[in-house]
Amino acid sequence: MKFDTVIIGGGLAGMACGIRLAEAGRRCAIVSQGQSALHFSSGSFDLLSRLPDGTAVEDPIRGMAELAPVAPEHPYVRIGVERCGDYALQVPEMLRKAGIPVVGDCRKNHYRITPMGKAKATWLTMDAYLRAEEPGRLPFQKVCIVNVEGFLDFYPEFIAEEFRAYGVTSRFGSVNFPDLEKIRQNPSEMRSANIARVFDHERNLEALAVRIREVAADSEAVILPAILGIDRNDAFETLRKKVDMPLYLLPTLPPSIPGIKAQQALQARFRALGGEYFLGDSVLSADLENDRVKRVYTANHGDMPFEADSFVLATGSFFSKGLLASPDRIVEPVFDVDTLFTPDRSEWYTLHFFDKQNYQAFGVVTDASLRLFKEGRLIENLYGAGAGLAGFYPVQEGCGAGVSLLSAFYVADTILNSK
Amino acid sequence: MENTYDVIIIGGGATGAGVARDCALRGIKALLLERSDISTGATGRNHGLLHSGARYAVTDHESAEECIRENMILRKIAAHCVEETDGLFISLPEDGLEYQAVFVEACRKAGIRADVLDPEEAKRLEPAANPALIGAVRVPDGAVDPFRLTASNVLDARAHGAEIRTYIEVKDFVWEQNRIVGVRAYDHRSHRDETFYAQVVVNAGGIWGHGIAAKAGITINMLPAKGALLIFGHRVNNLVLNRCRKPADADILVPGDTISLIGTTSSKVPYEEIDHMVITPEEVDLLLREGEKLSPQLAYTRILRAYAGVRPLVASDDDPSGRTVSRGIVLLDHAQRDGVEGFITITGGKLMTYRLMAEWATDLVCRKLGIDQPCRTAELPLPGSEESKQEAEKKNRRKPVTQRRSAISRHGALADRIDDRNSIQNSLVCECEEVSIGEVEYAMEHLSVNNLVDLRRRTRVGMGTCQGELCACRAAGLMGKKDPVCAKKAKADLVSFLNERWKGMAPIAWGDTLRESEYTTWVYESVCGLSDETKKSTAL
Repeated sequence: MKFDTVIIGGGLAGMACGIRLAEAGRRCAIVSQGQSALHFSSGSFDLLSRLPDGTAVEDPIRGMAELAPVAPEHPYVRIGVERCGDYALQVPEMLRKAGIPVVGDCRKNHYRITPMGKAKATWLTMDAYLRAEEPGRLPFQKVCIVNVEGFLDFYPEFIAEEFRAYGVTSRFGSVNFPDLEKIRQNPSEMRSANIARVFDHERNLEALAVRIREVAADSEAVILPAILGIDRNDAFETLRKKVDMPLYLLPTLPPSIPGIKAQQALQARFRALGGEYFLGDSVLSADLENDRVKRVYTANHGDMPFEADSFVLATGSFFSKGLLASPDRIVEPVFDVDTLFTPDRSEWYTLHFFDKQNYQAFGVVTDASLRLFKEGRLIENLYGAGAGLAGFYPVQEGCGAGVSLLSAFYVADTILNSK
Repeated sequence: MENTYDVIIIGGGATGAGVARDCALRGIKALLLERSDISTGATGRNHGLLHSGARYAVTDHESAEECIRENMILRKIAAHCVEETDGLFISLPEDGLEYQAVFVEACRKAGIRADVLDPEEAKRLEPAANPALIGAVRVPDGAVDPFRLTASNVLDARAHGAEIRTYIEVKDFVWEQNRIVGVRAYDHRSHRDETFYAQVVVNAGGIWGHGIAAKAGITINMLPAKGALLIFGHRVNNLVLNRCRKPADADILVPGDTISLIGTTSSKVPYEEIDHMVITPEEVDLLLREGEKLSPQLAYTRILRAYAGVRPLVASDDDPSGRTVSRGIVLLDHAQRDGVEGFITITGGKLMTYRLMAEWATDLVCRKLGIDQPCRTAELPLPGSEESKQEAEKKNRRKPVTQRRSAISRHGALADRIDDRNSIQNSLVCECEEVSIGEVEYAMEHLSVNNLVDLRRRTRVGMGTCQGELCACRAAGLMGKKDPVCAKKAKADLVSFLNERWKGMAPIAWGDTLRESEYTTWVYESVCGLSDETKKSTAL
């Protein structure tokens, strides 16, 4: 099989890269193992929330300008601040076209509300999800937090406790229907995706609306966990109309419904643009000639290789197995490209879980165009994008989604301009 | 007078809980004070090996005899805490077979059944054993869950009138001339000082007993010996595996519930460090290197966590390893030894002999109080072990099969106290260890659970392969729900639970463990927005 570009990894970075290339008319393939970090998406995309020293960032683009001296390996520094600014302006459009409407401004962070009620600075938040311009500025004074009885991956009491500090009073409401009892028969089934399937049925959505109106009483707004619309896209809108009062979603613990929906939407968009998406397949080996990748072989396609002019490695970090840690080194398993890490394992972590852990910034070594190296030699047509890149702390700096999206755009443009 | 008891026991390990139970059964009004949760010291930080005594047969005949006697008693009185697996002492080519003959002879002398097996038979019996073995001896080793064992002692002590109070730290003693008549203590939860009075105070503080005695001006020269262990992610072996040689590092592999444990190292540590045990990469490497000799498949088995306990050995010579010191029980009557009336120390020993230690200490307490009551702890079953598994199965029919099995294995006959009236209570909080909402509620209500780490000790929430990835959050939610005012506390509790888990994971964080840790970081810090607030404020 011959393509212009083969992208390995179907998470946020792989798909953003594929969509951009496909929009430009390139013939692309994405080979995806299946699970990506979107599985635990918060419903928001972070660009830059904190500097490496912990300073809070209000304007992500301005924050990026301060990275160069303190984090020279940071992907944003590699890409260049000006270019990052341009890309950041283009991302919402790309998401909207894929059917993921988002709100946000790359020059000013807003706040998303977590399943535990904490306010976290972020860049873009999906429509329907609660957001605040300032941590304490919520769009209501009295709110009703509704949860499904026995659903343990969402925390109304914790949320109410955080809201109290902002002078917001919360009341609780709980819902239970016969169809929910059914999924409870298997005691490990009370998870977001299964519940969402119950509410995909019109009669349950209707019953939910009735129950919400009952419990909301004199509340100004209603909060629900993100357990709506897994197989249909209009569930939230339909419910909002039925309830006829301000309704907001909050993310839950994984599996993340907004993440699953985003994954599906991006995949559909990529396919609609003519891209080929190979789900459940993985690249096993590659042929390299003259410092170029010629072709890759996958598990499902045996001796039928994928040939391409360029290849993008977007396999993520440890969670997605884009990086593997052995007791003394960090390996990138597809091409065995060079990785950045400290050999002494005792330097990988501190003993405090919430500290910045050095291992989080380990990743593949790149040149200025995000091309990768093997045994010190540049591979001319192999690019890296997303969480597998070295030099940044996605969680502490609040830049995981941003690095994935911006590095994907940058790699796509480099490939487009290289011919 | 308020706060007055016959006896105050300091320390909520197996020994202290055993003393409390023994005293209560003999009609003595007892109060147990523990500065943290029960089983937080060496009790919860060992192999969980139901020693047959074989390990000590050659070097310490007395300990070996004590072990086999207690082994047989625990099988009866604590059936729901014990797994009767048997154990193998294997000889590898590098060990030779000379020791085996000495070993078998010594076992028999101590009354320990020791059957020499043909190597092929041994391999059939335990496929996980190193196939290079040239000899094997089968002994009645087994596995014992120290958390369950201690919790059962506490339950029974309470049922017979003892008071057990956790998170209360003894700060100093109340004196009348040369007699100790009480203790002054600090309540870590209410942040208040409290004074308790009794005619006898029992120091059952394990290695911390050194410091407790020091508060009374008494020197007990203890030798803190650190022992590190690794927990593997699944049950590798079904029989306990030992090396048939002079006891050395990392030569016992014990199966327990869903996991296997290898240990231990042995190194002398300064007393000041016993609250801050850190596992070094060298210790991990040594445990793996030696463990693979018992069972080569450990090389490919996921490690869940690393931890270390500190043995409460009483120093008798300058042995730097702490290994040739007798594991024998040390009972000190400070009236005789130091001229301090009303104060005794029970230490040394091991988990296996906790009951016997309690018996000795309680006998002495009785003499001091002028009470003539026999010890019954060797006969009376512990709560949870009063009836057979079959009967427990019958009583818990309403629980779905996985929950029933797990609940009975953890709580024995008491499983029927776990509410299973509706599907919500039967829902799982922790999928790895199959803990239901009902079980969490039961533990919060009846097993004095104050935080998530306590809950883990009572129910195994967060002990499985995911190490509390999502179940910790869910359990915190349940705890926060119980008392909405304390939602903030529940969040702080979650932070300390995660920190606690991470301490055990960091020394072995590569491969899947690192993957899980990265995922946990994403979920808790990014999705949930939790951060260690306490640390941040000190950093700024």
